[in-house]
Amino acid sequence: MINRDQLSGFFWLAISIFVCIEASRFGIGDFHSQGPGFLPFLSGVMLSAFSIILVVTSTSKKKEKREIKNLWKGMSWGKVVLVLSLLLIYALLLPILGYLIATFGLIIFLFGIVGKTKIWIKIVAGIITVLATYMVFCVWLEVQLPKGILGF
Amino acid sequence: MAIFHNLFYGFSVALQPEHIIVCFLGVLLGTLIGVLPGIGPLGAIAILLPATFRMSPVSAIIMLAGIYYGAMYGGSITSILVNIPGEAATVVTCLDGHEMAKQGRAGPALGIAAFGSFIAGTLGIVGLMIFAAPLAEFALKFGPPEYFGVIFLGMTLLMYLSRGSLLKGVMMAVFGLMISFVGLDPIEGSTRLTFNLLQLWDGIGIVPLAMGLFGIAEILINIEESAAPEVLKTKIKNIFPNLSDWMQSKWAILRGSVLGFFLGILPGGGAIISSFISYGLEKRISKEPEKFGKGAIEGVAGPESANNSATAGAFVPLFTLGIPSNAVMALLFGALTIHGMRPGPFLMTNHPDLFWGVVCSMYVGNVMLLILNVPLIPLWVQVLKIPYKVLFPLILLFCIIGAYSVRSSIFDVHLTIIFGIVGYLFRKFDYEAAPLVLAFVLGPLFESNLRQSLTLSKGSFSIFFTSPISAVSIILAIVLLVIGFMPYFTKAREKFEG
Repeated sequence: MINRDQLSGFFWLAISIFVCIEASRFGIGDFHSQGPGFLPFLSGVMLSAFSIILVVTSTSKKKEKREIKNLWKGMSWGKVVLVLSLLLIYALLLPILGYLIATFGLIIFLFGIVGKTKIWIKIVAGIITVLATYMVFCVWLEVQLPKGILGF
Repeated sequence: MAIFHNLFYGFSVALQPEHIIVCFLGVLLGTLIGVLPGIGPLGAIAILLPATFRMSPVSAIIMLAGIYYGAMYGGSITSILVNIPGEAATVVTCLDGHEMAKQGRAGPALGIAAFGSFIAGTLGIVGLMIFAAPLAEFALKFGPPEYFGVIFLGMTLLMYLSRGSLLKGVMMAVFGLMISFVGLDPIEGSTRLTFNLLQLWDGIGIVPLAMGLFGIAEILINIEESAAPEVLKTKIKNIFPNLSDWMQSKWAILRGSVLGFFLGILPGGGAIISSFISYGLEKRISKEPEKFGKGAIEGVAGPESANNSATAGAFVPLFTLGIPSNAVMALLFGALTIHGMRPGPFLMTNHPDLFWGVVCSMYVGNVMLLILNVPLIPLWVQVLKIPYKVLFPLILLFCIIGAYSVRSSIFDVHLTIIFGIVGYLFRKFDYEAAPLVLAFVLGPLFESNLRQSLTLSKGSFSIFFTSPISAVSIILAIVLLVIGFMPYFTKAREKFEG
């Protein structure tokens, strides 16, 4: 059964091989006249060596503690998935709906994730948050926040 | 005499109304961030970095520096009252500080932490003033091989001294270097690792990287763990330490100040290591080591002094060599670069208002922090009671909008979320992000100095061993790496033979 360090080791090995292949495409050069891929290739080789060391040395007698399934044992990982999904949807809808509407929706949903909150509290919190952050970012810091298809 | 002249100049900059306001804002935010578990100065500086773009460079660095050393003050409050470190450098304060609070001595614990921090912070700033100028002059002799050697040693020390596995620390640093190569090649101008995305031609920004790895990842880890911290219900009285407390703590404060300052200069050192080593030192030399862990006031005074003094020491290599010694300094390095300043030996001569203004603002900031932390402790206790479900959406929103505000780019928002996922997975799989950030920030310098050196020497690595500075740095780094990796090679050989 693969443990967490072995899994991460294989992941880094894959990344390093990919970077080495990419680096060789844009030219490695030599020590005297280095190409754009010189250091990316070297770093890829180093990372692959270290990841192999990690995979080999990470087998341990106390396997149960290092098993991947134990990483999320007793944890509310569902909330993590929910928050990430909300953030990704927010990022996609931000340029379409604009800052005010998209952020209002995000805050209302985020307030419901940790503990129970009444709907009117969420709505009030959403309005206050949107207005306060709009003042901070748009008015004070003069950041051009996305306006969306409705023009605001 | 020159130092007094520079001090007067520095105070004339630091005491300008705009700079007093940003200094106050910085230390207030820093204390708040230190008090609130769940986000440290690293995440806070990453989140607030875009807010400084409209400020002058001096104002920006004064505020960000204030957040850094302010967080050290605030972190001790949570450590003492809740037994949860407000930030990593105050972990050790939990051991004796919380015990003192349980014995009804929360006031003296909080008081000695605040006063010790003030004394150590002041001594650290004096050290910064004394050491910075000679070191900057020395750094003028540095060429590409010397810079490469010092950067290599700095990164190695950070990996060596970081918590957790050295092997994983090294892998993080190498990955950080890889990410720094994304964009245009600095010499030929061709694109590399951009995957035909125009948005990556300028490389990956420090803001999305840091906000994702430290801001969003921290939130994800915290909401995954459901337990809410409980504030100790105790009357906080006698905040001003009595004579006996001072007699017991005076040498711990002095030792912590000196130790913290010099450890703060070392790459990989900084406030966290300083506090741990100070605690170990105090326990070792104490005539009553058995009282440590049971409410020894030296166990609070020493580490709290060390972590504050270290914040001043950490500015020495940043301002003089242009090499950040820890991840927070790496972010400040990024901030200086964004504001058009080049950290290094010419910073003091080209921008004396920045250097002396920031140094003198740290004196002002330390006074403000003493005022904020001693009489206002009951207020900070109330802050601890703010529900996390109110805080985390705001922090997430600040991360997202902060990342967007850098280039008005939705791509940066996507990058921030991706790095948030990456940072979360790093935590789950026991990888530390600090070496990655340091290597990412130093990557362009690392590459340019290495390539220039090799070009000068026509491809020969002997150039790194002809200069004493680069030779000593590189040999020391290699020795540290070999010593650090010995257990891994031994283990691999045993498996192979077994």
